[in-house]
Amino acid sequence: METRDNMIRVTDLKKHYKGGSIKALDGVSVDINKGDVIAVIGPSGSGKSTFLRSLNLLEEPTGGSIVFKGIDITKKKYKDASGKTVKLNIDELRQKMGMVFQHFNLFPHMTILDNMTLAPMKVKGISKAEAEKKALELLDRVGLKDRADAYPIQLSGGQKQRVAIVRALAMEPEVMLFDEPTSALDPEMVGEVLDVMKELAEEGMTMVVVTHEMGFAREVGNRLLFMADGKLLEQGDPKELFDNPQNPRLQDFLSKVL
Amino acid sequence: MDQFIQLENFPKIAPYAELFWQGTLVTVLLALFTVVIGFCLALILALMRMSNIRPFRALGLDSDGHPREKGFLALLSRFNPLEFIATAYVEILRSTPVLVQVFIIYYGVFSIIELPGFQLFGFIKFDRFLPGVVALGMNSGAYLCEIIRSGIQSIDSGQTEAARSLGMSQGQNMRYIILPQAIKNILPSIANEFVVIIKESAITYTIGVQDIMSAVNAVRGATFIIIEPLLVATAIYFCLCFPTSKIIAYVERRMSRGDKR
Repeated sequence: METRDNMIRVTDLKKHYKGGSIKALDGVSVDINKGDVIAVIGPSGSGKSTFLRSLNLLEEPTGGSIVFKGIDITKKKYKDASGKTVKLNIDELRQKMGMVFQHFNLFPHMTILDNMTLAPMKVKGISKAEAEKKALELLDRVGLKDRADAYPIQLSGGQKQRVAIVRALAMEPEVMLFDEPTSALDPEMVGEVLDVMKELAEEGMTMVVVTHEMGFAREVGNRLLFMADGKLLEQGDPKELFDNPQNPRLQDFLSKVL
Repeated sequence: MDQFIQLENFPKIAPYAELFWQGTLVTVLLALFTVVIGFCLALILALMRMSNIRPFRALGLDSDGHPREKGFLALLSRFNPLEFIATAYVEILRSTPVLVQVFIIYYGVFSIIELPGFQLFGFIKFDRFLPGVVALGMNSGAYLCEIIRSGIQSIDSGQTEAARSLGMSQGQNMRYIILPQAIKNILPSIANEFVVIIKESAITYTIGVQDIMSAVNAVRGATFIIIEPLLVATAIYFCLCFPTSKIIAYVERRMSRGDKR
């Protein structure tokens, strides 16, 4: 296997609630390398969404570390190259991590185009014309250029999710996080969203995908993580794990979903 | 025996129609200014209540830099002075009579601040009108604060997550994503508050604001007739409030029609 640049190193990540009586994440360690397409599977309540949301700090971990590009982002402050203590800028960090949600979370009071240009304009400060040009290119890629002036309410679920994906791409992130991107879709729309994700994976985007789509996890992912009870129980090559699961929890899970 | 309503009294109070007309204008202006002041105040209060400014935040981190889960320091680290002040303000204003608040503002605050004694439109005494507006605005701000807060909190948390995950700051999220959606949801409630204030503003006649109730009082003083002027006042209040609330209900229905997601 080729060696890849490490992008995110998660070490012993914990998320405890109520003084430790509830452990949503209980010591998860993963290396995410540049170009990885990681599928995270597991029964509901296994902590896989919490894990994903911790990566861009939508959930604040209560223990462990997440090192993103050499900086431990679970700490409020870090030392920069010259050894000076700098306050962690979460907003800057999140620009580099695109996120796609189960329920799309498009902004309903804006057109598709405005949904896509708002963050690049306000956060990155690029001009309206440039942002719109970029947005239209991205929309064209997912076949939705003609819907640029529509409002989210006028789109189907699959269209909304494709817009959500390119909205995140408009910020030119280095890694894309997908939180069950097809779980809220009607069955006939799942394919169009998975196709976009597949294309993205083929272009070399680093992706972490929490999913119930076992076919996608097996075919597109280069690594599979199986989580249960807040723990990472097994990880490895998807095809190997699917064909020859070792952990009894994974055997049990696969027997139910396949 | 006297009748409850004596029709021959109406012609007797007719010469004072001008007073009622002016009173109506004062009441409407009072309510309008009150809602505007109340809304601005309420927006600030609501943002204060939902702010996340915690001066002792650092105390809530353990030596590893992770948040503490329990204990006194964890509690102290969550203390937010802005939220405390706003909450105290809202609870005090909502738990005391508006009459007391109007008196405190007029006899207390505005006995220290000298107001110019000019008259708006030639008949509204500014030094009575302004304290009335301020007192009612402060009171209504407390109620509107809760309306705005619930309006903001009714926006799906996924909106904030999406905005923040795109790199927007908390302030940008509020300004571009949350408030535009929340304002639309709470506009009917704000219009309803306008109707409530039209009625509540009657209390300001006690500090000499020449609203509809003060017209009633003036007519009583001049003619010793009380029931019929009160009926006129009732009719005016009803004609102001009833159509307004019906229009609000209609607009609310129209707006919610476009909301299907």
